[in-house]
Amino acid sequence: MDIEEKEVEHIVHVLKEIKQYLAENNAIKLKELSNHTIHSASTYQDAGSITLAVLVYTLSKLIEREDYKKIKDWREFIKKLNAIIDKSIAEIEKNNQKEYEEVFVNSRKLLESVSPNLKKYIEEVIRKASINKGSKIYEHGISLEQTSRLLGITQWELSEYIGQKNLPETKPSMTINIKKRAEMALEFFK
Amino acid sequence: MKALILDSGALINLSMNGLLYLIEEFKKITKIKFLITKQVKYEIVDRPINIPRFELGALRVSNLIDSKHLELPQSLNISDEEINSLTKKLKENANNSLESQGRSIQIVSDAEMSCLALSSILTEKGIENIIAIDERTTRILAEKPESLEELMSSKLHKKITTNKKNLAVFSKFRFIRSTELVYVAYKKGILKVNGAKALEAALYATKFKGAAVSWDEINILKKL
Repeated sequence: MDIEEKEVEHIVHVLKEIKQYLAENNAIKLKELSNHTIHSASTYQDAGSITLAVLVYTLSKLIEREDYKKIKDWREFIKKLNAIIDKSIAEIEKNNQKEYEEVFVNSRKLLESVSPNLKKYIEEVIRKASINKGSKIYEHGISLEQTSRLLGITQWELSEYIGQKNLPETKPSMTINIKKRAEMALEFFK
Repeated sequence: MKALILDSGALINLSMNGLLYLIEEFKKITKIKFLITKQVKYEIVDRPINIPRFELGALRVSNLIDSKHLELPQSLNISDEEINSLTKKLKENANNSLESQGRSIQIVSDAEMSCLALSSILTEKGIENIIAIDERTTRILAEKPESLEELMSSKLHKKITTNKKNLAVFSKFRFIRSTELVYVAYKKGILKVNGAKALEAALYATKFKGAAVSWDEINILKKL
């Protein structure tokens, strides 16, 4: 699915900001940025936007907890990641959707292999980041199952997270009057 | 005969809250059949059984299937092919019902639509049924689709339009959540939790494990 021109501009802007905030080790801004691709992740459901959101959130967590200091080759990793981001900008600007997505799949692999000692830990941070981003996509109106499929997580972990997170109660979620639904349930079990 | 069709979320909720025994208790006091589709079984048993974190939960549900407290549609002579074919149609309808700038948004997946497919088939056979589903998208799609348009437009900051023709097929389904299931269990005296706050605690528990229910709704339920 081709991404609209306006959305491409937005993604390029986000990618450039990621480079800037990575250089500044700015976890708060990175966390904010991870939400900026959720709109396109919900609409287009492309692997690129989804992986980008998860990747940036994971990086924000590693920086926030100062875990990155335990990664010996962190600087080298950031250099490689910057090169990947530059390549992704070039691909998305040419609207090469497939190549753009592949670039991010590679960036995830790069992160997973950045430190053999922390491999398990980083995988866990990525898993939690996927659940966090999943809850955002669910908030946007995508069903629980569809969201868990997009993120490659189970409905078990997503349900639990959504419940704990206490999503904002929006008016559109209220459909049938609760008294009516309760009566319908009681009547059914008579 | 009546049938309650359980979606993945409702079963996950009951399992995580240690309330799966309610299905056995309901079976003792009613003649209702508790059904799950093959697609739901995949989501709650076949896939998580290989993930250590969820293995126990998946096994608990699997045990209920083995003991026939939970049954597959074949027990009513409904074939997978029949369900699959209708699931595909419903999924196509749902996933072409909301558009952003001329592009359809994929909002639902197989397991959710398989519950609706099974409900349709049961209704056609004259079997009264209801769907227990905790996630909100499918429920809103059927009960108040204009609200889904409103929700998505506000979240995506884009104009979302609905294809009303595709939505008509969803208006006939009836839904409850694990929250109402727990409420009925309390009213029937089968909720094995004692104390003045038993109902409140059980209702809150369903919310904390993912049921799309508001605090206001819980407060009303507590007083009914």
